[in-house]
Amino acid sequence: MLLHLNPSSGVPLYLQLESQVKQAVAAGALRTGEALPSTRKLAAELRINPNTVARAYQDLEREGVTRSVPGGGTFVADGLPGLLKSEKVKRLRPHARQLAVEGRQLRLTREETLKLLEDELDKLGGQA
Amino acid sequence: MSEAAIFTEGLSKSFGAQTAVAELSLRIQTGAVYGFLGRNGAGKTTTMRILLGLLRPTKGSARVLGLDPTRETELMRILERVAFVSQRKQLYGWATPAELVHMNRPYFPRWSDEAAARLAQRLEIPMKTAFKKLSIGNQSKVALLLALAQEAEVLILDEPTAGLDPVMVDEILRTLIEDHISQGRTIFVSSHQMSEVEQICDWVGILEEGRLLLESRLEEIRQEFRLVIAAGEGLQVASSPDVVSATSDGRFRRYVVAREAERFAAELRGQGAAILEVSRLSLRELFVHLVRKEDPCTPGNAGAKAAPVSSFS
Repeated sequence: MLLHLNPSSGVPLYLQLESQVKQAVAAGALRTGEALPSTRKLAAELRINPNTVARAYQDLEREGVTRSVPGGGTFVADGLPGLLKSEKVKRLRPHARQLAVEGRQLRLTREETLKLLEDELDKLGGQA
Repeated sequence: MSEAAIFTEGLSKSFGAQTAVAELSLRIQTGAVYGFLGRNGAGKTTTMRILLGLLRPTKGSARVLGLDPTRETELMRILERVAFVSQRKQLYGWATPAELVHMNRPYFPRWSDEAAARLAQRLEIPMKTAFKKLSIGNQSKVALLLALAQEAEVLILDEPTAGLDPVMVDEILRTLIEDHISQGRTIFVSSHQMSEVEQICDWVGILEEGRLLLESRLEEIRQEFRLVIAAGEGLQVASSPDVVSATSDGRFRRYVVAREAERFAAELRGQGAAILEVSRLSLRELFVHLVRKEDPCTPGNAGAKAAPVSSFS
């Protein structure tokens, strides 16, 4: 898996890992049923603490992005089936708040902040 | 898992009138990878040497794997189970790395010839050249090989990668992750290389003038710690453990807060301050903000003069 983490960005490494896996899934680079490397292997590859990978994998599984087979590894799950719309909204809200706060702090206008979000959605392409 | 691999309580060490370590209380959990940070002369090496029975503490106590390094019989058991890489490599200069391996292996019950061979290859160590004829970098690699091949439960590494090139540092990180951290072994490492610490450590402790300024999980620092820069006149900040550093420069105030940065910023805004920035910090930035001498109101920095802007005492 081609991931690139920045340990000095101040963003927790497990969050960087989670968001890159989610991004890869959203962009179709990782397909349903595809296996992720083992915790130990990915940790050695990225030169990071295995606990960091384990935490990211746990979160990804809890959020339904991946599923794990006991003793058999971690795989990309098929979509986010059981998740209610309200649950999805709830999960995304902190990110929206963060974007709003940072946009305001950087003195971007409302339109400029919304434009950024739209650009990112466009980059993902596909169905809207 | 609850037992600490390394534990110190009120540990102090003076050399004559000079205090090297002062009232140091550390708790390093089994399986943790603990980055021990501090400027040169902060007391890191002294602490490590006490843990290995190379120095006796002036006051306080230390335990390694539950054993007391000041007692001869317990120290023998510590040395069997703990590997140490010192900054000063004191090895027989006439011996080759291959001979040093041969001399070392009988002393360690868990010694792995396979690990020694793999390290020699990975780290590109000339095994047949006398130690004294090796470059500083190669000498460091030999010391690492001799420590890592012990397959010890605890690794105490004093600036293990100083003087090594980036490719070698990368190989060492890989080895530590694959062969040691993945096996749940404990690592206590001092380093000035913040990027290495940020990659593999899950805990950091910052030492300054023998005192622990900060001890935290690294992910908590990333998650919660923020740099807040504000401008305003007569700002008053209540003394709080959440504010780990505060400095001023003219009308500008710079704070490092350990949690709830937004609430802290709102409080400053309430006093008429303009908040210029609330941002995440790299470990390097945090370290510099905490230990810089002109940072006068770091709470752990006892005896320093109080900054005019705050109410710290």
